[in-house]
Amino acid sequence: MQRTERVRSYQAGDELTTITKTLTQEKINRYADASGDRNPLHIDPAFAAGTQFGGTIAHGMLVLAYVSELMTAEFGGAWPSSGRLKVRFRGAARPGDTVTASGRVLRIEDGRTSCEVECRNQTGEVLISGEASLRTL
Amino acid sequence: MTVSLADLPKGHEFAETKFELPPEWGAEYTAAVEDENTAPDAVPPLSLATLSIRALFDQAALPDGAIHVSQEVNFSLGGQTGDVIVARARVASRGERAGWVLMGVELEVEDETGTPMMNGRATISFPAVAEGRADAAD
Repeated sequence: MQRTERVRSYQAGDELTTITKTLTQEKINRYADASGDRNPLHIDPAFAAGTQFGGTIAHGMLVLAYVSELMTAEFGGAWPSSGRLKVRFRGAARPGDTVTASGRVLRIEDGRTSCEVECRNQTGEVLISGEASLRTL
Repeated sequence: MTVSLADLPKGHEFAETKFELPPEWGAEYTAAVEDENTAPDAVPPLSLATLSIRALFDQAALPDGAIHVSQEVNFSLGGQTGDVIVARARVASRGERAGWVLMGVELEVEDETGTPMMNGRATISFPAVAEGRADAAD
């Protein structure tokens, strides 16, 4: 896979590249295997149907991975070497949902670029929101 | 796995875990999160947090009805497949309010030379008295 480091200057208000994924139960199951988190709420539809969620939901860390990918796509190697991420999980992502991770530059100061980041589903419901920053100078 | 996170007091330190980032696991994780932007041979940085949480769950089960409330991560060194990493975790905070426990678990990952790779904090909430596995979520 080819990856190119972007050379771009940013300013407050700039929108970041968006990442969009469609969740399926198969993808959630695959993440459960990779993460070792086999909570039945994520992988057992019959069990999950009896919970407050009414069905399976994706792992929060799976959805958060889309935000991390967004930051890698936008800032390249500066993300894994200096990234900071602070988010709250606000809603549940379900199989069939189309999840879009997006971000916007909030400020650039002291050599760090700070962005607000979020994930929303296809209805606009906020699943994750928070702030990401990284060293850019 | 014999204990629940719910049984652990503030200050509890989990046993240090040392493991390799196998290429197969890196590929499995990258495929699972559909990451198309991580460089070849590198692992997505959030996978370090996932691995450290996985190591934690090997020592203590997620309590019944638990919800992953928030997550903080600070990256300082990217990981490569084949790296040997060391993960540590401790219960940094624990409080109770309106029948729910709010627990903060600090995570640290470093390479085998002791160079920090990631640290962070997972905050989970669960019923103060959990009865049966009802709706645990993360």
